[in-house]
Amino acid sequence: MRPSFFHHLHPPTIPTAQARWRHTLAAGGTAIFLMLILGVTGILEMFYYIPNPEEAALSVQTITYLVPFGGFIRNLHYWSAQLLLIVSAIHLLRVVFTAAYSHPRRFNYLLGLTLFVIVILLDFTGYILRWDVDICYPLLTGTNLLKTIPLIGDALHRIAIGGGDACTSGLLRMYVWHIFGLTLPVIILGVWHAFRVRRDGGIAVPPPQVRTDNARISRNELVRREVLAMFVIGIALILLSSFAPAPIAPAMPTTPAAIGAAASQSARAPWFFLWVQQMLKWGDPFIFGIVIPIGILVLVALIPYIFPKPADSDIGTWFPKSNRFAQITIGLVSFIVILLTLLANAK
Amino acid sequence: MQNKPTTFHFLLLIASGLLLAALSFLWWNDSRQPAPISLTPTLSGETEYCLTCHVDLPEISASHPADTFGCVSCHGGERLALNADLAHSTMRGGANPSDFSVVEASCGGSNCHSGSEADDRHHIQRVMTSVQSTYAGAIASIRYTFGAQTDLNAHFGIQAVIDEQSKTGISSLETFNPVDEAHPSIQKFGEECLSCHLHAEPREGEAYARETGCAACHSTKKHTLTTAIPYTQCNACHNRGNYDLRTMTFVERTDHPTQRIDDYYQPIAQFTQCEYTLDCVDCHTRSEVMGDGDIHNDQASIEYVQCKTCHGTLEELPLTKTLTDPNDIAFTLAFLNPIKDLKLGDTIIVTEKGEPLWNTKVLPDGTYEMIGKATNQYFTFRPVMGTACEQKPDEQESHYCHECHAVEK
Repeated sequence: MRPSFFHHLHPPTIPTAQARWRHTLAAGGTAIFLMLILGVTGILEMFYYIPNPEEAALSVQTITYLVPFGGFIRNLHYWSAQLLLIVSAIHLLRVVFTAAYSHPRRFNYLLGLTLFVIVILLDFTGYILRWDVDICYPLLTGTNLLKTIPLIGDALHRIAIGGGDACTSGLLRMYVWHIFGLTLPVIILGVWHAFRVRRDGGIAVPPPQVRTDNARISRNELVRREVLAMFVIGIALILLSSFAPAPIAPAMPTTPAAIGAAASQSARAPWFFLWVQQMLKWGDPFIFGIVIPIGILVLVALIPYIFPKPADSDIGTWFPKSNRFAQITIGLVSFIVILLTLLANAK
Repeated sequence: MQNKPTTFHFLLLIASGLLLAALSFLWWNDSRQPAPISLTPTLSGETEYCLTCHVDLPEISASHPADTFGCVSCHGGERLALNADLAHSTMRGGANPSDFSVVEASCGGSNCHSGSEADDRHHIQRVMTSVQSTYAGAIASIRYTFGAQTDLNAHFGIQAVIDEQSKTGISSLETFNPVDEAHPSIQKFGEECLSCHLHAEPREGEAYARETGCAACHSTKKHTLTTAIPYTQCNACHNRGNYDLRTMTFVERTDHPTQRIDDYYQPIAQFTQCEYTLDCVDCHTRSEVMGDGDIHNDQASIEYVQCKTCHGTLEELPLTKTLTDPNDIAFTLAFLNPIKDLKLGDTIIVTEKGEPLWNTKVLPDGTYEMIGKATNQYFTFRPVMGTACEQKPDEQESHYCHECHAVEK
């Protein structure tokens, strides 16, 4: 029988090792599924969301409390977005810890990393779209950080939020960034990333000549596993969204004085930027808010280029000796980010 | 194509069942939520959903109908939220939007209660400068007693107030801060004796139960605003005990009177029958009780109604006024507390400052009627003129009347 559209998106057969849960952690596939959920729920939210400062938070309240199953859809969008960050991070860790970034996958590693950064920005802009009292301080801090960049800071600030006062006029830019400016690149880069996975020989496993396990599974079996995985994730998301509502806070006030008061009351970054907020307490915002985070990003991006090339037989195996430096680097980065997040949370 | 069931088919069946169960749970959970009840008050035109949970609350007053005002214009809050915590998170003054910390936002506005004196809409200015709010007399008296000031004039209030058009000569009061005072007794006064003004939370105990701000007087029961204020509401602060100036503490009343005659005034006081039969608001006017917009030195300087206001003297009948203007404030007051059908052409008693005692009426035989504002009781009374009363024209304080007319207890 000729393959259906969905089957046709997959290679006819793949090595069994590439489809093992303990090898992939299902992170990449889960990320794609979460993105699909985010797309669908996001479009549904757009039917009610009103991107102007006076009505935005009220429209979020309308979605949450008044639209039939609106609260559920919003929770689904929220939890999918949070899980996407976690799953993306796991995906990145898996790729480094199994030396999967190595040639010929170096370019796709950069594509993936870019996707991760955009997903973080999507989470941040989505958080800002709540436009309630809790978002003002993080928006102000985040966008003021851009201004600290020499020469191009002001221009970047204008590109990000239009250059005005963040908490009174930044909403429309944040909305357009969220819906188009970041989502379109995610779609394009995401498709490219998936295409490159296949073009680069599928999920990284040792090359055929050094492979011990030469078993293969068919695309039918692969799709079955994907369907089952989607069911499991779907059920988990439904339950999570039923019991754990997405955060919401009182609407942003409209007078500057009241906005200022609201901003000072909620001086807490969203959880994925708590590590940066913690560093900002230490001094120069440009150093701690821009240079160090970007430095860390550049360091992670350079992993395939600056460290010794892992042995071919090590590619696709967990924690091989030949890429110890890369493992230590990503391990240290993860440890520091988690530690800073916990420190910020503790106070 | 396989026709035999495989492990995958079983797993898919189980997963489908679980997914169905999760969706059913979602449906059931959603159907448990109360159906939203919307209200779009004409004043704001902005739909709110407070009634979803609060549909059983009584209308707060005839002059604040929910259809017009809704809930949010007075109370604040998140009007679309159906989660109690979020919906209530931005309410002004908690359950009491008339608390003075938020009263301007809740009750103010030129068409509401912070309008002009000419429109008689300066209620907030009146109450904020009144002695019930400033507590200026007590503070001045204590500071004078313990040497912190050389006169008995009011210099401090609970909160700083300004009245640039003051007719009393007092144009401002500074905030009384007991911590800045040198004498320990004044500091103790600050700690122990500042629970009776309208800014303050009441003392603990049912006898002291009242709200703060406007609602201290006007809210006699849950979610009610009224001008029919019974003496029991006034008694939440008044007649509850005495201050002991030696220890600078409040000594609570220990008797538990069961009759109005014992409850109304403190046990040692003398009073006439009308003083305990009527309610405080039947005699004491709005400007006396709620202030007139000027800053006053103390209670004595704002209180002016006497027995003669209604009864006159041997030489003069009480002042009266025939209502000819349909916009007369008397009609507004009668509308707010509709105990009688006040009509154009009715002649009512007025005070020496021209305030209408709108619940009175001059009867054709020269006697007077009064309807109790809080009790709706009907009373008639006579003027002093033409009786055998032995009062002297310059002795009009109530204790002179009590010499003959005090009730035997």
